[in-house]
Amino acid sequence: MEKTEVTEKLALILRKVLNNDSLVLRDDMTASDVDNWDSLSHMIIINDIETVFSIKFKLKDLNKMRNVGNMIEIIISKL
Amino acid sequence: MEEFIFRTATINDVPFLVETIIEAEKSGSNILSWTTIFGLSESDSKRYLSDMLKEEIDGCELSISSFLVAETKGQVVAALSAWIEGENNESSAFLKGNLLSYILPNDCIQKASVIQPLLQEIHIDYIPGSIQKGAGYVAKDYRHRDLFRLLTDEIIGKLLKRNPSVTDAYTQIYGSNIAAIKANQKADFKIVMVKESPNEEILRYVPSNKKVLMKKELYK
Repeated sequence: MEKTEVTEKLALILRKVLNNDSLVLRDDMTASDVDNWDSLSHMIIINDIETVFSIKFKLKDLNKMRNVGNMIEIIISKL
Repeated sequence: MEEFIFRTATINDVPFLVETIIEAEKSGSNILSWTTIFGLSESDSKRYLSDMLKEEIDGCELSISSFLVAETKGQVVAALSAWIEGENNESSAFLKGNLLSYILPNDCIQKASVIQPLLQEIHIDYIPGSIQKGAGYVAKDYRHRDLFRLLTDEIIGKLLKRNPSVTDAYTQIYGSNIAAIKANQKADFKIVMVKESPNEEILRYVPSNKKVLMKKELYK
């Protein structure tokens, strides 16, 4: 799967969970840049990513995620 | 007069830290959000909290290293957590959310995802670069001895030593927890924001429909 396709699918997940239809992803975007991106939302985002991409993260994968760019890289590495 | 030792928590303190998180979440009520939001029993909530703490991930409210404990005669009698939000470019929301998604069963996450939009109505974002004070608890027999304020001063001092550029400390408290609001006022925190949901359904899941943000300016 190409980075563009991963980014588009991730954007759909983030827009739904964070209830923000106009959210545009940036690689350096993190929780503090987006309203309502709290731990509960992040838990749901991770769960949705695993479902949509049919992958399963290890905790060490998750803890490498500092921002959206890292999330995309780690998703791609698991595909 | 009884002497207290303040020290950073270790893995041996996990049972007391779990008690601290549970009691802080209840905020003096009978509602435990871990049971109402995730559909867990209190004993399962404690087990999963223990598992998450034992992963020893630093930088969030489920980090052993975020806690300072007060000990007397070899017994831990109080604990308080605090961390610097976004330290090392690690958002505490990511770190705690990662632990939740990794440890909790899938059906708990599904249950929480239905309730999450309602809970957002009283959500207040953490401010990057500031000290965030999280769960605190003093065992019943040791209250009214100023332990909470002493722990607050110690933990802020410890974090400032690590990062002297921090200028503000914040804490978020349920509006119904008058005792905690007063204890924080005694520790020089002032109310700077109140977020309230008009939807009383939220009271099925958390102790209050109101969240209070309190701030302490850290003068150099």
